[in-house]
Amino acid sequence: MKIRRHETDSKIEMQMSAMIDIVFQLLIFFMLTLKIIAPEGDFNINMPLGAVAPSDDQPPPPLDLKVKIEANPDGSLKQLYFGSRGLGNEFPGSFDRLNNEIAQVAGGGQGGFSDDLEVELIPDYNLHYRYIVKAISACRGRMIGDRQVTYIEKIKFAPIQAPPGG
Amino acid sequence: MKIKHSKAAVAEADMTPMIDMTFQLIAFFMIVSNFEQTQADERVKLPADQLARPPLAPREKEVVLNIGFLRNDKGVKLNPDAFVFYGDETIRVQDYRPRLAREFEILKRQAGEEKARETTVTIRADGDVPTGQIQELIKMGQEVGFLKFALKAKAGEDEG
Repeated sequence: MKIRRHETDSKIEMQMSAMIDIVFQLLIFFMLTLKIIAPEGDFNINMPLGAVAPSDDQPPPPLDLKVKIEANPDGSLKQLYFGSRGLGNEFPGSFDRLNNEIAQVAGGGQGGFSDDLEVELIPDYNLHYRYIVKAISACRGRMIGDRQVTYIEKIKFAPIQAPPGG
Repeated sequence: MKIKHSKAAVAEADMTPMIDMTFQLIAFFMIVSNFEQTQADERVKLPADQLARPPLAPREKEVVLNIGFLRNDKGVKLNPDAFVFYGDETIRVQDYRPRLAREFEILKRQAGEEKARETTVTIRADGDVPTGQIQELIKMGQEVGFLKFALKAKAGEDEG
């Protein structure tokens, strides 16, 4: 008798080509839409309404620190002042000095956080924005390793200085 | 005589490792892709700072103002004045007040005055924009009714 031999070892194969097509299309889509952008962060600033008197129910902060930033006519840093003390005009060296000063006032150098302090920034009209970001950052805190230590949260701008030449 | 019937064998490459790799690549690109920065304008060269960290929770609503200069391909300024980029339009900072007022009005109608006032105005400015103009924009924002403001910076160290 002839024994019919079944082909038991044949594998059932899935049709892969359609899936691979789709997968490649997805891959190309994600590769084309990829934009490598550095993540952005932001600094909140307190902006009390211009000429309005300070609110009655809230006592003003006991210590109001002033940071004045003078600019050259081309907008670069001319001099950075903490109170009335000049901190130089190197970038970013003078902002590091400002950061150290703030650290001593706000946290006693221990990396603390002061809620009762407020910094008022007084920039010249034509000062470039990058210096103001550095100044805000120097007042806000510093990075120790991967950890952010906050010194002062309340940062505000002084009223606008008149633009040079008008 | 018995004729051996050979099966027509098709040489098939093993696709499994390739598919594995492809899936890994897809997963990588999906994770790295960032679809959130829709309001960022590439003409604005933000300054960088190490304390600038993305907020932990994204804001529900914000008004983003991109302020920068018109530059040519080499990055040279074509016009010394700073402009607010509003889609394809470029508007001088001094002339932006009506737009801000309209923005506030729309928010007020959508979500009520309380919510509109609580909306953060986020300023993305080029590193060379005069600070006085940023202050002017903030003042305009206050005059039309906004209360919260934030300044943007790129995360990382400044190279210059």
